Amino acid sequence: MKFSIYRYNPDVDAKPYMQEFDVALQEEDHMLLDALLRIKELDDTLSLRKSCREGVCGSDAMNINGKNGLACITKLADLEEPIVLRPMPGLPVIRDLIVDMTQFFEHYNSVKPYLINHDPLPETERLQSPEDRAKLDGMYECILCGACTTSCPSFWWNPDKFVGPSGLMQANRFIMDSRDQAIEERLENLEDPYRLYRCHNIMNCVEVCPKKLNPNAAIANIKDLKIARAKDKKPAKKIFGIKVG
Amino acid sequence: MLIELLTDKYPGMRFWLTQRLTALVMAAYLVLVILLLVIVQPARFEAWHALVSPVWFRLATILFFASLCMHAWLGVRDVLRDYVFNQGLRGYLQIIVDVLLVIYFVWLCFILWNL
Repeated sequence: MKFSIYRYNPDVDAKPYMQEFDVALQEEDHMLLDALLRIKELDDTLSLRKSCREGVCGSDAMNINGKNGLACITKLADLEEPIVLRPMPGLPVIRDLIVDMTQFFEHYNSVKPYLINHDPLPETERLQSPEDRAKLDGMYECILCGACTTSCPSFWWNPDKFVGPSGLMQANRFIMDSRDQAIEERLENLEDPYRLYRCHNIMNCVEVCPKKLNPNAAIANIKDLKIARAKDKKPAKKIFGIKVG
Repeated sequence: MLIELLTDKYPGMRFWLTQRLTALVMAAYLVLVILLLVIVQPARFEAWHALVSPVWFRLATILFFASLCMHAWLGVRDVLRDYVFNQGLRGYLQIIVDVLLVIYFVWLCFILWNL
């Protein structure tokens, strides 16, 4: 099977290049990750991240024939040859297929991805009704692989300012959590013109998500919530600098 | 109040919401125009003239174009923010767009008032 793989070792290479591989696969090699490990047997300098090899850890996200995905759950049979593999776009390359995800996790951290609840700790767990729990479905499953955020042009243009689909979906995951008490702060945290509003709904995130989640719907929900909550507030005195009340 | 979201306390939402509200105005105007055309079916100049001359229609048209200009201004502003990182260049491009939109709008008012 033919591969064309992005290679770059900053200690040795002046600039990145594509390396061709023609690898003989074994009968048990079904997934792209299996083939990559075969290639590693031929050339052990090829660098990539991997761990669970079953689409749960999110380590082996990469750009596969132009589309972000997880190597471990991408079937070889579905790919056109030569299979072109590149690191996820929009993040600095550390080596070969490994990218520096610091920026991605800084955005994740900025939405405070943990429960904020000021009530005294209960004796057991904080309970939720099955209906409230169901509101987290489609969001809590995110494995933070970065496939969505690094396929988002809004993130490419403003990686330091736009939180990105993954971070925004995690923001919505805690906004929607019935046990969380910081909805107002969370919504305010996303009011800057860049953090949330750079999303223009092109839906690359939905297209690539290996867990079939919908960050775009989560982003839309945040905007809808802002509108719904504003309806209860006092009327404004000034709109675009003009006094109205 | 929804209007709260248009204040400078919401530097992101006010522009996003304005773009949606102007889109609603444009959609309503288009429905109105299509209905009028279907009902009146103006074939000659006089019929067209009679259709667009009433003050209410001119005001509706001005409202439509004001929404269109605002909508376009916000759209171009978004594009410039996304793609033009040099603040100076972005400022100049924005001024060109602003001037063009003002010219278009004044031109439209001029046309409507000379019907």
